[in-house]
Amino acid sequence: MTGRTVNRRAIVKGAAAAIPAAVALNMLGTKWAFAQSADFEGPIDVLNFALTLEYLEAEFYRQGNEMVPLEGREAELLGFIAQDEATHVSILTDTIMQLGGEPVPAPGVDFGEAFANRDAYLELAYVFENTGVSAYLGAAPSLFEEKELLSAAASIFGVEARHAAIIGNLQGKPAEGGVYLTAFESPTPPADVLQAVSPFITDAAAMQRDAAVTK
Amino acid sequence: MRQHPKQLFGGKPVMAFRDELSRRNFLKGAAVIGVGATLATRYSVDRVAMAQASAGDLEILNYALTLEYLEADFYAQGLEAGVLADRELELVTPIGDHEQTHVDTLTSTISDLGGTPVESPQFTYPDGTFESRDAFLETASIFEELGVTAYHGQVAAIESPELLAAAASIAGSESRHAAIIAELLGMRPFPESTVEASATMEEVLAAAMPFIEGGSS
Repeated sequence: MTGRTVNRRAIVKGAAAAIPAAVALNMLGTKWAFAQSADFEGPIDVLNFALTLEYLEAEFYRQGNEMVPLEGREAELLGFIAQDEATHVSILTDTIMQLGGEPVPAPGVDFGEAFANRDAYLELAYVFENTGVSAYLGAAPSLFEEKELLSAAASIFGVEARHAAIIGNLQGKPAEGGVYLTAFESPTPPADVLQAVSPFITDAAAMQRDAAVTK
Repeated sequence: MRQHPKQLFGGKPVMAFRDELSRRNFLKGAAVIGVGATLATRYSVDRVAMAQASAGDLEILNYALTLEYLEADFYAQGLEAGVLADRELELVTPIGDHEQTHVDTLTSTISDLGGTPVESPQFTYPDGTFESRDAFLETASIFEELGVTAYHGQVAAIESPELLAAAASIAGSESRHAAIIAELLGMRPFPESTVEASATMEEVLAAAMPFIEGGSS
């Protein structure tokens, strides 16, 4: 095949241009800063990127389902989603360990006023789910050579898309442009994803320690 | 002229379909030329990298196209039948639009890559499919879940990173459809396993065969 290296570089170049270095360094640690400027180091880095997002989502729903009163079908659906995210954390953690890698620790998180009420909760859920969908799609090319990992990541990606649609529907968003985002999902470069979630991450020290070990 | 399914499937179910596609791709796709303008525009990918597509990728694209034909036809008929209303109609109408967009995109992509898009088979649905909201949505659920598993079954087989990205972006929208249709039916909209299932081309085509005129289950 031709073009794989070229394509990877093109993606990385776009990512590096999109994120202020200070954001990456301060919020997410030097390991991720390196990933943004020079591509993922390998499949384990990609999986750790996904793991960070899944940690964020899993903790978000764990806290939210405790703190926000939901009823009926809505409570049931949010319960399913919380279970899914927790299982995705386990799947990614196990996979990284099976590959001989070291899973990143869960980041410290702070969701601000997101649990003040049902509407605020669902709106941030909607943002996280759609960010997750586009993050998997944006990271997929970096797993291209690792077919089993690629398939596994894709199978998680699809479920994130389901979550996004269901949350949007609970919110009563318009079908097109709310529940669905056109006939195609859009990729977001990893650096943009990290920038989007960085306001919710309070403690990247664990990642920095991890980076110190691996560098 | 529409190709009769007997021709499309070579008179034999499933495996003959693959043979026919393989034959086409061997003839038409062996020396693929051209630039994937559709996808290059959408994804800003390297045009040099898009200049070639493997016969295997063209086969997968034509396979996806066949499934999208089925879905597009199904929703066109179902929406015309007028069995949905209100929010349900609002939610299902864009699905029909998306499936047609997928057909159009796959068709032009295959052409751009120097392949030949398969013709649409003619489809047939069980009596009553479009006579009630429940029957329409239950069949929709079958097709959406089938589509999702079909795309996921091909992830590891796609040889071009650009086509993978395109196929994945379609697969994600199919997952949204599947979830919403399941929700409208009061079913669990997420897989029990917490990840999308996958199915082989043979499995998917066997499941689709009863809906193809002249096909058999």
